[in-house]
Amino acid sequence: MALIRWEQFDPVGSMLALQEELGRALRNPAFNLGLSAYGAYPPINLFDDGEGLVVMAELPGVEPASVNLVVQRNTLTLTGSRPRDEAKEPGAFHRREREFGEYSRSIQLPEGLDLEKTSARFEAGVLTVKIPKSPEAKPRQIAVESA
Amino acid sequence: MMPEQEIATREKQEVQGAEKTRAGRYFVPAVDIRENENELKLWADMPGVAEKDVEVSLNDGMLTIIGKVSPAVYDKLSPLYTEYNVGNYFRQFELNEDVDETRIKARMRNGVLEVELPKRERARPRRIEVTTA
Repeated sequence: MALIRWEQFDPVGSMLALQEELGRALRNPAFNLGLSAYGAYPPINLFDDGEGLVVMAELPGVEPASVNLVVQRNTLTLTGSRPRDEAKEPGAFHRREREFGEYSRSIQLPEGLDLEKTSARFEAGVLTVKIPKSPEAKPRQIAVESA
Repeated sequence: MMPEQEIATREKQEVQGAEKTRAGRYFVPAVDIRENENELKLWADMPGVAEKDVEVSLNDGMLTIIGKVSPAVYDKLSPLYTEYNVGNYFRQFELNEDVDETRIKARMRNGVLEVELPKRERARPRRIEVTTA
């Protein structure tokens, strides 16, 4: 069997590029995804991991403890601020491309999630929120008995 | 105090120019560079990059920054909706200043790379003692 290496194949890259195209089409106001305007910060990716919904957001330079995450009535809200980290020291800037300030983002969650079991992790500037499906929403195998 | 400004998302730009021998997508990290009389300091936003996956090198006055994201994170995930791309980071700077390579320090914190590039100390004027024969 031929071995496909990650670097050659890059499924995430091509997958996300495709999704980006799709997203552009879906940003058309004719589609209502219940998501905030594009360009809002932080940018969010939504995934299905088989167990439920995974929400990922890129928040570089943000302290994990400062992230304010609230789930209420099928709305997930993410607020906080990214303070400047270099202001105190003297010197002149040659480049200033990074963004600082406050952020606030809300997304509508689909039905059938067990919000009580929401968990969140912050690692290397990326927030990952996992919300499992509620037991009722999971496919259930029904044993078929013979008469 | 000025009211805090709201942040807007800018779409990630893919690295242009010379192709890397390894495939995979590379994006341009947003960077701040500040200089004072003692040092140059650089910050690069590279969310998703762990400390062990960062490479900082200085070669012939060319500073190279590479950050790799772990694809394993996305192993079991199928996307439903995406707003940002995931890929590695790459950026290069030609340094005009005389930097002391032996004293460069780099650290990664919450997805931000911080690099300290101390300037080389200028050769001090030396006084030559004149002795009588």
